[in-house]
Amino acid sequence: MANLLWLQGGACSGNTMSFLNAEEPSACDLVTDFGINVLWHPSLGVELGDNLQKLLRDCVSGAISLDIFVFEGTVVNAPNGTGEWNRFAGRPMKQWVNELAKAAQFVVAIGDCATWGGIPATAPNPSESQGLQFLKRDHGGFLGKSFVSRAGLPVINVPGCPAHPDWITQIVVAVATGRTSDITLDEFQRPRTFFQSFTQTGCTRNMHFAYKVSATEFGQRKGCLFYDLGCRGPMTHSPCNRILWNRVSSKTRAGMPCLGCTEPEFPFFDLAPGTVFKTQTVMGVPKDLPTGVDKKSYIALTGAAKNAAPEWAERDIFVV
Amino acid sequence: MGAVQTLDISPVGRVEGDLDVRVDIQDGVVVNAWTQAELFRGFEVILRDKDPQAGLVVTPRACGICGASHLTCAAWALDTAWQTEVPRNAILARNLGQLTESLQSQPRYFYGLYAIDLTNKKYRGSKYYEEACKRFAPFTGTSYEVGVTVSGKPVEIYALLGGQWPHSSYMVPGGVMCAPTLTDITRAWSILEYYKVTWLESMWLGCSLERYEEITSYDDFMSWLNENPKHANSDLGLYWHMGLDVGLDKYGGGVGRYVSWGYLPHEDRYQKPTIDDRNAAVLMKSGIYDGTKDTHVLMDQKMLRENTTHSWYDEGGNDVHPFDRTTRPIQKNDINFDGKYSWATGVKHVDVGRLEAGPLARQLVAGGHHGESWQHYDPLILDMYKKMGGPSLHLRQIARMHETVKLYRQCERILREFKLSDPWYIKPREQDGRGWGATEAIRGALCHWIDVEGGKIKNYQIIAPTTWNVGPRDAENIRGPIEEALIGAPIADASDPVEVGHVARSFDSCLVCTVHAHDARSGKELARFRVA
Repeated sequence: MANLLWLQGGACSGNTMSFLNAEEPSACDLVTDFGINVLWHPSLGVELGDNLQKLLRDCVSGAISLDIFVFEGTVVNAPNGTGEWNRFAGRPMKQWVNELAKAAQFVVAIGDCATWGGIPATAPNPSESQGLQFLKRDHGGFLGKSFVSRAGLPVINVPGCPAHPDWITQIVVAVATGRTSDITLDEFQRPRTFFQSFTQTGCTRNMHFAYKVSATEFGQRKGCLFYDLGCRGPMTHSPCNRILWNRVSSKTRAGMPCLGCTEPEFPFFDLAPGTVFKTQTVMGVPKDLPTGVDKKSYIALTGAAKNAAPEWAERDIFVV
Repeated sequence: MGAVQTLDISPVGRVEGDLDVRVDIQDGVVVNAWTQAELFRGFEVILRDKDPQAGLVVTPRACGICGASHLTCAAWALDTAWQTEVPRNAILARNLGQLTESLQSQPRYFYGLYAIDLTNKKYRGSKYYEEACKRFAPFTGTSYEVGVTVSGKPVEIYALLGGQWPHSSYMVPGGVMCAPTLTDITRAWSILEYYKVTWLESMWLGCSLERYEEITSYDDFMSWLNENPKHANSDLGLYWHMGLDVGLDKYGGGVGRYVSWGYLPHEDRYQKPTIDDRNAAVLMKSGIYDGTKDTHVLMDQKMLRENTTHSWYDEGGNDVHPFDRTTRPIQKNDINFDGKYSWATGVKHVDVGRLEAGPLARQLVAGGHHGESWQHYDPLILDMYKKMGGPSLHLRQIARMHETVKLYRQCERILREFKLSDPWYIKPREQDGRGWGATEAIRGALCHWIDVEGGKIKNYQIIAPTTWNVGPRDAENIRGPIEEALIGAPIADASDPVEVGHVARSFDSCLVCTVHAHDARSGKELARFRVA
């Protein structure tokens, strides 16, 4: 039995919606089969008003043991650090977050907003939003660099806009089944089991990447989205092509460029004019190269790839 | 006359986002109400000076529940601004995305957010209570578990087109990013079939879609209900009986005037989209239904106005069109019920006034004879509205769920209409201009305005269904639709005002709420309440 509390700050509920798409386990399975006791959730919770406020106060005081505190959405600090632009249960949400994080065994940040600020923190960041322990790439965030929860871990960051339901449910099951010690985190506090590999790992367009065959515009039946359409698959850490979305596909499989939404910089280039769905280049070479590849090697690699490309690679492959 | 008791509910819960409600109660009935949206993220501010296509990335993330609807609006807004050509397949693929998001929402909303309230101890006296608890209890209810789990299925179709739901950006000016293959289409058929067999026919209707589709009037519906125990024992049958038994048809009506932008542009009629041609191009017609006069007219975006008199913005007190809004949040958002008390704005039609958006609005509009002869027409809910003495929160639910079969049929039609080898995208020429895109999210009328100047966004404005419904008072102190719908709600137990939750949740607002009770005279808080 593990008590789980889920709250939302500057959020769109997208991670909740994603979570509800889960199967094996489904949201209901977590409750009925894995002994997860959902103390409250904004979309599912039964408690309201005063009863909820009492429940929250009991979690803070320890009268109710808070095993897992899940936070979705940014911590809103506006205006001027007060947090009044996001009030919840009678006070600024940031005050609840501060107290609950200290009381919880594990603190899990779900989605980009809670991990690094996400869309609301895009310049000019009108809501003065922060992630729980990061703001973009800067360590610290709302809870501060040195924060650790009662179990001795920093905030477990499950990024993505939204996070995949499995990235949420499997971590919860790992905690519920005593596999906490197998959860190792990378430098951005993401579970390595999900975020060591790249979005490109398992992409159906990998052959086109290898032969430098480009999808030059949308709606084509072949080609890699990296060269012209701004895909960030080769430099984004996620298992999107290992653990498929909604069990059936991924953005790159469907023909949509990866936006790099599991990385702290998302949305990249702050969505400045000319940057959306277009590969940024200098003298024909992408500004952002596949992780670990330098410019000279890239030019050599793609030159050789182009020469080696078989004739079929330029023809449609994902055909009717 | 008894003393007026004021109840502050913060948060209400199971509405998406942060909503607080204040109600004044006198002699056990709500006599005044204020709805407060309590979260500001500033999407319109973020979009200023960004890439013209930034809305395709940002706006689906304004609402994780209506992401496909936002994407639909963002894409059509750019299409009209850039004067693109959108191929037939792309129109169908966008519509299918919109439809599958809505199919997802039907069981998820009904069981996850709404029906839980029927298990409230207040209804212990109802003969349907025990059955409601068995089916609708959170997480463990027999229908709850099936409904919430099956809700993830329709958006698998969305993922076949866009890679994932929520938060894809596969709709782009000029078409869509995808080019589905045969197996995508056959799998989509199978997913639809699964949804129908597992839930829609077996659990929700207790009959075939074909039988349900024969119902076109209140009398037809009653005959259907009594025709076969399977109908009466379906979740729809149970909800109908229990809703009436506990009096949900007696309150929650609202402003009595309704708006829909219409939705689903026809694949052969909107390939060169313009703002002005949209009304004559959508399958599901737009409109305003004025219940006080029983009249239908088309809706036009030019007639929309916003007012920020009671909203936390520093933009004066005049009614303005969204193209003229400047989105200047005030720094100190203190709550003043005579002054400013919400982040939502007062939205209205320049002539008709405040309007309710949502599924009830769509179905009342669908019953009108206005619009084009080929557009969708369905008289059922308008007939119920008249036979049942006007709107109520019960009818709002019935209207919402009635749409499910129609959404399902539209999905089937689209899967038949795709011509897989035809184009899915025509690359547009980027240019400056003004655009507007609209749709009907499952919870109501949604639209975006964009003004592109010098290759970047000069102004981006969104009016969501919740902006219509949760909006505060306007310059004339006219209450917003939910505020108005709360008037007359009977509160059986002021320490557990489930009725307020019912009304707020019947609009499926994208917001969250708590209940505090105040003495209206002293302003002293009496108690705080659990609504669910």
